[in-house]
Amino acid sequence: MSTPTPAIQIENLAYAYGRAEAVHDLSLTVAPGRCYGLFGRNGAGKTTTMKCLLNLLRPQRGRVRVFGLEPARQEVEVKRRLAYVPDQVAFYPWMSVRETLDYLASFREHWNRKTEQELLGRFRLDPLQLTGNLSKGQRTQVALIAAICPETDLLVLDEPTSGLDPIVRREFIETVIGAYQEGNPGNRTILVSTHLITEFEGLIDEFTIIDRGRVVLTQESDQARERYQKIHARFAQSPPELDLKAALHVRREGRELELIANGAGPELLERLRQHNPETLTTEALTLEEIFVAALKS
Amino acid sequence: MILQINFKSGMPIYLQLVDQIKAAAASGALRPGEALPSIRPLAEELRVNRNTVAKAYSELESLGVIQTLPGRGCFLKENHSALRKEVRRKLLTEEIDQAIVQAHHLQVPRAEFLQLIHERMEALDDKRRAHDEQKGD
Repeated sequence: MSTPTPAIQIENLAYAYGRAEAVHDLSLTVAPGRCYGLFGRNGAGKTTTMKCLLNLLRPQRGRVRVFGLEPARQEVEVKRRLAYVPDQVAFYPWMSVRETLDYLASFREHWNRKTEQELLGRFRLDPLQLTGNLSKGQRTQVALIAAICPETDLLVLDEPTSGLDPIVRREFIETVIGAYQEGNPGNRTILVSTHLITEFEGLIDEFTIIDRGRVVLTQESDQARERYQKIHARFAQSPPELDLKAALHVRREGRELELIANGAGPELLERLRQHNPETLTTEALTLEEIFVAALKS
Repeated sequence: MILQINFKSGMPIYLQLVDQIKAAAASGALRPGEALPSIRPLAEELRVNRNTVAKAYSELESLGVIQTLPGRGCFLKENHSALRKEVRRKLLTEEIDQAIVQAHHLQVPRAEFLQLIHERMEALDDKRRAHDEQKGD
């Protein structure tokens, strides 16, 4: 079986700002049609990685491909096939919303007017308002409309919802799911970087956690939630000495034990059961909890 | 039918949807011939990937629980499982075995376990009756 050309392929990417190394030997692959999360703390290297995809920065080492194309040499072709919402949205403040969208549409071969009208209505945006008078949330909404209307195969979102209120954040994500994904189901690819992981939890198929420019963990979301477990046990007396080396973290509190397991859940549960705990419960970790656990260990 | 996702259950999201729709069908919250929500609004409402909802629906279709009518949407089928009887029994046996193991570890004795099964089946019957009465109104 031939595998389709990845939407994004990054191999051994490195980038430094002067002496400060932002990205170190980073590799990841995003298959077409997926929603891929790039998780990291502030300064982990997320934005630097994305800028290399957009040819806003040139990789100093390694290889970056978008739909098999090299952004540094085939910039126009790459930009034709993707849309981007940056973390800091800036427009010409003297242009109205209408003029801004027309201006941005003029760079595109294709622009879905119907979707544009639908989203302007949904976000309750006044087309005649000057962008200089818009709130931060409204500017992000205009940027999202401009990213969705060209109906590109790839949507790159860099910390799109940080600093926005919860309602605007929700509408943003619903719009990505509805207006963007629905347009060509199964073929629209999303790369989203965020540290607000909880809100994107249901959207993300697969993710990479990066820390100080390096990959800490790459996994499918469903698999990750299956592997990472929090186990809680309470004993009648103070807990016996147990071999719990298989756990990522162990917390003891009086008669209670709390373990974080990565794949070793069944083995640890069996070991705890042999000592007849009064209660024994497990729950999966959310992606945000997995992020915290992965960075602590 | 109200669906809910629990990210702490450790179960893949599409399977949670499959299970909940099967449960809704068993309890009468969703009746044969009734339409399931369309993929886009459901995905937006649950804020899950559109492809995840599509995967759940195609799984339900291959299980013979729902059918897709082109251009009209997905509908709950009459109670006709696509699987042969011995396969259906085997699938159920696996689930029961798991519950029995769990009962052992939770120190629930046999008689109490069997009693609990009766109670749960009656609870489901009650639910179904309640849905039927609503329909009658």
